[in-house]
Amino acid sequence: MTLIEGQTSIAEFTANELYARILNNEAIFILDVRNEDEFKRSPIEGHEHLTSVNIPYFEFLEDEDGSVARVPADREIMVVCAKEGSSQYVAELLAGHGYSARYLQGGFTSWGNFYDVRDVVNAAWGRIVQIARPARGDLSFAVISDGKMALIDPMRHTEIYLNLAAEAGATMTHLLDTHVHADHISGGPALATITGATYYVHAYDAIHPIDMLPATIAYTSLEDGQQFQVGQTTITVAWFPGHTLGQVNYRVDTPDGRSALFTGDGIFLRSFGRPDLGGKGEAWTPILYRSLTERLPKIVNDDTLILPAHFSTLDEGNAEGIFAAPYSEVRAHNDALKPRSEAEFTAYVLSHLPVFPPEYVEIKRVNIGLVEACDGKANELELGKNICALAG
Amino acid sequence: MANSFDQTLDVKGAKCPMPLVKSRKAIADLTVGQVLKVVATDRGSVADFQGWAKTAKNVELVAQETEQEGGQDLYVHYLKRTS
Repeated sequence: MTLIEGQTSIAEFTANELYARILNNEAIFILDVRNEDEFKRSPIEGHEHLTSVNIPYFEFLEDEDGSVARVPADREIMVVCAKEGSSQYVAELLAGHGYSARYLQGGFTSWGNFYDVRDVVNAAWGRIVQIARPARGDLSFAVISDGKMALIDPMRHTEIYLNLAAEAGATMTHLLDTHVHADHISGGPALATITGATYYVHAYDAIHPIDMLPATIAYTSLEDGQQFQVGQTTITVAWFPGHTLGQVNYRVDTPDGRSALFTGDGIFLRSFGRPDLGGKGEAWTPILYRSLTERLPKIVNDDTLILPAHFSTLDEGNAEGIFAAPYSEVRAHNDALKPRSEAEFTAYVLSHLPVFPPEYVEIKRVNIGLVEACDGKANELELGKNICALAG
Repeated sequence: MANSFDQTLDVKGAKCPMPLVKSRKAIADLTVGQVLKVVATDRGSVADFQGWAKTAKNVELVAQETEQEGGQDLYVHYLKRTS
């Protein structure tokens, strides 16, 4: 097998096709040829019919026949690497052995930066649109009504949101971050520059919790109870400290009497936002407890649709890939809301904290303008799925 | 730097998997015990060369360095042919 640079005899597949097949719960065989560390940090995950096997590409170089023999010959092989080149190489090598193989266009970077856009609500007054980044488990939302658009937790690929606004014929008016994110770079400040819309974040989050340095980005601070009109909808700010001190929820009330709560990293569908990413877990955990037990019940009713900023597994969504549930369902199934004392909650949280990704400190710096990140650096900082949630 | 070497391979600008494919070929041209210095611009080469050296039977990764050249990061790998 010889490799001719730039040869393209093997077919590609796109992140879009991969996600559609995952949602359909089709049988998928992913051959991930990245090195073991990258694979372990950020495997491609799906439903039960997705199989993902890691054989680094250099193993194919060293032992072609032995490595090929580890790949099943009775199905299509979807080869994935970091940036595309090695997966194309391995797919061609497999084809040479009689396999049906394709490779992921753009490599894992394109999967990590793939966005899925779909309506959660489409009503006479307007729409709530979910803009998901499936590889990262990140969710953002748009509220569109009467030609106005508010975005909640927009991510850094601003063209996704600009396209959505253009297609909807809407003007961005409010860029609403629930908090300063640690796991991904916000698109809010950039969209504010592009569109002239106002970027909002709570002032408590405009100080880096570890550096103790103030934000250099332009932002407008939020207050508990503050309201915005977006077309026919009303958005109400509800301070929800815990994951960060400045975390807020946004409740949108629509003219049909319904409501939805954008919870950011407050409560998720089956878990809640970890309170230690500011480096002060012991101090912030009791604050989170009071937000979950005292603040949350006051701002929702049983039918309020909970729309969080993250999911941990695709199983939290429905078959269409929408990650939403009425509060009654979340209350029944999310252990975050099970009755327990503050002391029990605190003891549980502090003994069950997931690993603290070191890049999360740097991402917060980027998000308040203390450092800049080019695309390459941003891709590296954001590699892999978010680790913002804690269940139980 | 203190690392000694016998041959140099320039794979600046080459994208994965070419730095490794070419290094493998260059190693085969060395005699046992000689060291190849590989200069790459692909950051992914750092982890990949580590993984490759563990997999390959005749290669030892002696050292890895990062250098700057005209504002560009260079990833330098020293590989010894062991058999």
